[in-house]
Amino acid sequence: MSTTATEKVTLERGRYQGESVPRKEDRRLLEGQGSFVDDIRRHAMGYVHFVRSPYAHASILSIDVGPALELEGVFGTLTGGEVAIATDPFFQIASPPGAHVKDYALAVGKVRYAGEPVVAVVAATRELARDAADVVEVDYEPLPVLVDARAARNDDAPVLHDDAGGNLSWEGVYEWGDLDQAFAEADRVVKIDELHFDRFNSTPLECDGALVEYDRGTEQWTIHSNNQFPGFAAIMMGPAMRVGLDRLRFVSQDIGGGFGNKITSHPQLVALCLLARKLKRPVQWTEWRTDFHQSMSHGNERWFHDVEVAVKADGTLLGFRCKALDDAGAFLRYEPLGGVIWAQVTPGLYRWQHVKVEFTQVMTNKAPVSPNRGYSRMQHLWLTERIIDIVASQLELDPVEIRKLNYIKTDEMPYTTPNGCVYDSGDYGRCLDIALELVGADTVDARRRDAEARGKLLGLGIGSTLDSGTNNFAQSRFINPELQFSGNNEVATVKLDIFGEVVVTLGTTPQGQGHETTAAQVVADTIGCTHEMVTVRAGHDSYWNSHAGFSGTYASQFAVTGLSAVKGAADQLADQMRRLAAVVLGTTPDGIVLAGGMATRADNPDAALPFMALGAIINANNAGLPPETEDITLNARYVYRPPFDVPDIEKKYGNLTLTYSTQIHACVVEIDRETGEVEIVDYAAVDDCGTRIHPQIVEGQVHGATAHAIGAALWETFHYDDDGQLLTANFYDYHVPHALDMPPIKTGSIESPSPFTPLGTKGMGEGGGGGIHCVCSAIQDALAGAGGAVVTDSHNPAERVWKMLQDPEASRAVVHVAST
Amino acid sequence: MKVSGTRDFDAAPQAVWDVLNDPSELAGLLPGVEHFEIQDERNWTATVKVPLGLGGLKLKFSFEKTEEQPIERAELSANGKGIGAVISMDTAFDLAPNGDGTSMDWAADVRVLGQIGAMGQRVLQPIVNQQVEQVLAALDERVQARAAG
Repeated sequence: MSTTATEKVTLERGRYQGESVPRKEDRRLLEGQGSFVDDIRRHAMGYVHFVRSPYAHASILSIDVGPALELEGVFGTLTGGEVAIATDPFFQIASPPGAHVKDYALAVGKVRYAGEPVVAVVAATRELARDAADVVEVDYEPLPVLVDARAARNDDAPVLHDDAGGNLSWEGVYEWGDLDQAFAEADRVVKIDELHFDRFNSTPLECDGALVEYDRGTEQWTIHSNNQFPGFAAIMMGPAMRVGLDRLRFVSQDIGGGFGNKITSHPQLVALCLLARKLKRPVQWTEWRTDFHQSMSHGNERWFHDVEVAVKADGTLLGFRCKALDDAGAFLRYEPLGGVIWAQVTPGLYRWQHVKVEFTQVMTNKAPVSPNRGYSRMQHLWLTERIIDIVASQLELDPVEIRKLNYIKTDEMPYTTPNGCVYDSGDYGRCLDIALELVGADTVDARRRDAEARGKLLGLGIGSTLDSGTNNFAQSRFINPELQFSGNNEVATVKLDIFGEVVVTLGTTPQGQGHETTAAQVVADTIGCTHEMVTVRAGHDSYWNSHAGFSGTYASQFAVTGLSAVKGAADQLADQMRRLAAVVLGTTPDGIVLAGGMATRADNPDAALPFMALGAIINANNAGLPPETEDITLNARYVYRPPFDVPDIEKKYGNLTLTYSTQIHACVVEIDRETGEVEIVDYAAVDDCGTRIHPQIVEGQVHGATAHAIGAALWETFHYDDDGQLLTANFYDYHVPHALDMPPIKTGSIESPSPFTPLGTKGMGEGGGGGIHCVCSAIQDALAGAGGAVVTDSHNPAERVWKMLQDPEASRAVVHVAST
Repeated sequence: MKVSGTRDFDAAPQAVWDVLNDPSELAGLLPGVEHFEIQDERNWTATVKVPLGLGGLKLKFSFEKTEEQPIERAELSANGKGIGAVISMDTAFDLAPNGDGTSMDWAADVRVLGQIGAMGQRVLQPIVNQQVEQVLAALDERVQARAAG
């Protein structure tokens, strides 16, 4: 592995920001002292196991929990019938018809996907709970199954939710610019009949889990979980459980990966809350791997139909239009937000001015989808990258040159896209150059010949992606104008305690992103101490008073929302420290310098107070302080609110996210002509996420995202049979790449600080799509020398590549070029 | 999953047919049968222990003869329920004279639902193949016995 030098940083930074200091989290994690949800134990707790539907679609005729309750050590059960009495259906984000979907913690009357929880059983041991679940008798009447989203709106399609009147959850038309003009100006129109983005997820090492306690005196639940977006979980759970949000205390410390998959565990958490109250004991649930695969958090599968691209003869891209068909699975747990999130990156990295997307989302008898690393933008960016490569191949243009011709240029930044989003900064061409250099693109022709001599086909591919971070939640109103969400927020507190300890609390729920370390770096630089002097409380507790409606760790926003909240609170604390020191040392606040853990008179270095003295004065020795110190608490709380307006809902126009990181990936693949097996022989990922607080942490996330992407491109797929049975429900059939599968990854970086954020940072870590795009691109390039197949699927295992080698005409038939 | 094949017997079609259409004979063909009960001439139930890896999966099956064209064709459907698994199966047998013997084309569509189904076809296919082979071997044996009188 190698790393290119970071280019010149344009913003001033403190001593620690920009340095890969030792991570605060690592000691406890490396010593096995982390506290994950399955590590938590309580006296007399019961273990929960869910009875799950073997059918993808069936009516529940009867449930008999009697045989389970007869077993010694079984504490109790919960059925959908009980849930329907004790709770209301979860709030639906969708406008009608999706708004009419009724979703409960357990199946009520009907099951809609194989693996759906039907009954919860609680017992003295995990094993007994599992055994007891096996003897619960559920009588089903199977119903016809809908697996293919393309058939969801057929007259004869089975209907999942009768209340919704069909399988449509949401549809909307996005149109910006003047498509008629674009196609009239075009020299060529490239048409692609169908593209398919496959269903997978960025599987976390740790499955979902929780330990829930109910306090009968205060009627409050404490939910120790690995849910990564407690703010969202609370607003889903509270109304359903008919309780105020302060009755739900969310606690987490270490989380073993999230990637968006752990946002939508609220149904299971409600079931646990009901059980803890019913059985008067803490209940613990750790999800099994097969259960996770069968029922939690798949990424959105999406089809693109009737793609038409208006192009000038020189490769200038004018516009495109298409129909997008999204498969949400059986329930709308975070959906249909995927129907708008993609619009954050509408033109991709390109200067398309005219875009129309007719978006439709349907429900099928598959596991519900949820955000997944690169949520919804990954699918759309895959479309734009596929368009680029297909247009390039059809018009015989160089894939590099057509990208450079159409990339938005650095001097156009901040750049307003056709739909009103503002790309803050970046240098896409430079990133591409670095990536190509890293993979030795100038030697590809010679390597192609060498590979050919060995019976291999060699191809070079490029994947250009944007990681849009810090959502403006008002975009949800494109989906449902009645929603009262907008903007975003995050909270941090920073205090100076009696013995001079600097203590930080965050509203976020880190899952390995090193929040403790980077928060300490920002605080240390702001108040003038070492990062070792800063204690950042591990994890999340919604009772810490550092919690707001959008608190959590998701959607590439900690470096912006989380660290800006930290910066704001640290600025407030520093101001108070200067004012207090000024009073004590007889000067003005401007005359105080904070550095080295001391508050010092600028004009007299001998006049200084250690931070410990400041903490002691306010907290324990405050008699006689003058009135102007009344508001000094040395305990600062700051809520960061990104500068957003509410977009134009009717025109679907406005700024949807605050920052845009760039990832340009490039790879070289070799394909075995006999088997279709793809080997990545060279790989480079170039990342530009603005100011990097901790380069090593950034690079770690780039590596992880790349592994997820390569897995999705070649091995990982949630494949269902016609009966709605998931055939890849374990790590035997669902192959997540391990170290030996991964090619050596070369990384490069530049820094284009965001002009919109206090630290110049941008959200990052979701650039995994770049890997899918560049592997698809490279496969198509390699196949150009063997029949010229067109890659139309995001997932290309050996058998699919082999088919493309055998019958390239079949894939080429979906592409048509017309001259105008 | 769909499995099919052809099996030749050294016996006339009537002998094969008699075995296939005698529920008590059929019970003897199925491996792992622990209990077999005839409801009527078209419906039977059985408790079967299917070998699966290190353990066995006990299933309660109900069988129904769905089509019958004497000594030429029969169709049978079966539905089984067990812990963590639901299995349904549609089978068809077509008999034709083959010299002095009989040629039988057979086909089965086996659907495995639930946790066991989630194991994937790579694991289940060999198990199904093994079970089918055992059934056919037992059938051959019973046909020979019946033909021998």
